[in-house]
Amino acid sequence: MDWQALTLSLKLATVTLAMLLPLGLLLGRWLAYTHFTGKSFVEALVVLPLVLPPTVLGYYLLVSLGAASPLGSTVQDLFGVQLTFSFTGLVIASIIFNIPFMVQPIQRAFEAIPNNLSEAAMVSGLNAWQTFIRVELPLAWPGLLSAMVLTFVHTLGEFGVVLMMGGSIPGETQTIAISIYDRVQAFDLQAADRMALLLLTLSLVAVAASYFAAARVTRRR
Amino acid sequence: MNTLDSSRSLQVHIDQAGPIPLYGQLHCEAGQMVALIGPSGAGKTSLLRSIAGLLPMSSGLVRIADEVWFDSQLHLNVKTLQRHVGLVFQNYALMPHLKAIEDVALSLLDLPQLERLRRAQAWLEKVNITGELQQRKPAQLSGGQQQRVALARALARSPKVLLLDEPFSAVDQLSRQGLYELLADLRAELDIPIVLVTHDLFEARLLADQIAVMDAGRIVQQGTPLEVYKSPINARVADLVGIRNRFYGRWLGSDSSTPGSETGLLQWLAEPNATEGPVLKVRDNGNLQNGQKVAWVIQTDGLMLQNKTDPLPAHEEKYCVQVSVADIKHLGESSIITLRTNLVPEVSFRMTLTGPQRLSIGHKATMNLLLDTSWIHIMPMT
Repeated sequence: MDWQALTLSLKLATVTLAMLLPLGLLLGRWLAYTHFTGKSFVEALVVLPLVLPPTVLGYYLLVSLGAASPLGSTVQDLFGVQLTFSFTGLVIASIIFNIPFMVQPIQRAFEAIPNNLSEAAMVSGLNAWQTFIRVELPLAWPGLLSAMVLTFVHTLGEFGVVLMMGGSIPGETQTIAISIYDRVQAFDLQAADRMALLLLTLSLVAVAASYFAAARVTRRR
Repeated sequence: MNTLDSSRSLQVHIDQAGPIPLYGQLHCEAGQMVALIGPSGAGKTSLLRSIAGLLPMSSGLVRIADEVWFDSQLHLNVKTLQRHVGLVFQNYALMPHLKAIEDVALSLLDLPQLERLRRAQAWLEKVNITGELQQRKPAQLSGGQQQRVALARALARSPKVLLLDEPFSAVDQLSRQGLYELLADLRAELDIPIVLVTHDLFEARLLADQIAVMDAGRIVQQGTPLEVYKSPINARVADLVGIRNRFYGRWLGSDSSTPGSETGLLQWLAEPNATEGPVLKVRDNGNLQNGQKVAWVIQTDGLMLQNKTDPLPAHEEKYCVQVSVADIKHLGESSIITLRTNLVPEVSFRMTLTGPQRLSIGHKATMNLLLDTSWIHIMPMT
């Protein structure tokens, strides 16, 4: 068992979740409540990472964030941080390829809240923030939970983009999914087997638990 | 009881082509209830939402007591959450995730938590939601109970005006009766203007002090139920308030046989372009021209059905028409009867009868129908 790779994967998933959640909430709620020309285009952009081959996404990230790119070189000059083949670069890539997993369930959850409930809150004297905290968030909670679990599990398992962007540097960019691949290449099937089983179990338990929790919330209403 | 206090009344003037076309004036005193009636799509709910500030207004005035909530001339528009309106939504809009008591407490967020729950409990008890029911979520409450919770939530806000959007449409007849009584009790106690949107004319007449008739975005007439039913301003209003006995005629001018009297002659016509018809003596208000085509209505209160053998009352304002029963339908406690007149064969009267005698009336029976001409209301053709 490659504990270092597992720890790195868990760290990446946690950081991604923490950074993407506020962004996903804002974007998802905005898309649910506002109508404007070009909304379909924005929604298509949100879904794009889901349909693009990971190698294509990884390639463009590599090109646009690499040391030779304007962005990559500026960040390197200002902060001394390398955006490719580093943990920072993985976090950026991870945030981008998880956008659809985070935004879509949140958008659907906010869309499902009947319009007259926000109106009822307004008539009851609640301001926008109170309405968000006391009405919207509890009602959107199952969708929010599913978005968080999907993002976390998906980050643990992502392979293509991570390989393109980060390579396989132990302790820096070698996640558990990459480690499994390396073990298989080295004919160490026993280690690959254990890690694959762990990832499978973890993913299944997380998704099942989120479905169970969401169903419980919905049933209690 | 209902002391009329115009200083706390609701006044609405609206005159806008958009975002939703709405025109007219609405007025409701504190302690009174105005029923907004009209066909679907007439703008009743839109007007209610405009008063609450949920629908943006472009031109007009909304004023409650000494507060102005909207004034297009002063560019004044108070936000919904600062308006202190109690609004009961058509489908109640209860929060699915909150218990009844928490939902009501939502209107009291400015109070400390304990006080908030205590007040919410008191309001729920006032609308007869007691004990364990207060701890239930909307899905575990019946339609009538949900409606009461919605009412308690609206009232907990200490509203300056109570707006009810078809509140009775989704509850069964039994709960409806209970709710009517509750509303009647609360009305006396609250002493604020109440606006009720309904499509049920019976409900409007039963509950409201005033009726405002809306049609195609316009408030066309407001008055007491009696005024509106007895004197609709035009034939369209007569249709909208469900006056069934509407006929055509021609105004023949004042009655010259009795000079100085305020009596005029109305020729009863089968259809607007007919030339022949009997002439009725009716009250002359002096605002019709000789020969003018008119529509006229008579309320059921002005009609009396008698057996042919019953003696006719010797009263100059009664006009006797011989009728035959074209149809009679018995519905529980009442019967709907259609009567064909021999005088103007093409037209018929429709009446709702109650009492045991109605059951003895047979099909095709010949009877006398007495028209109390003081109940005849004449309108210019529109």
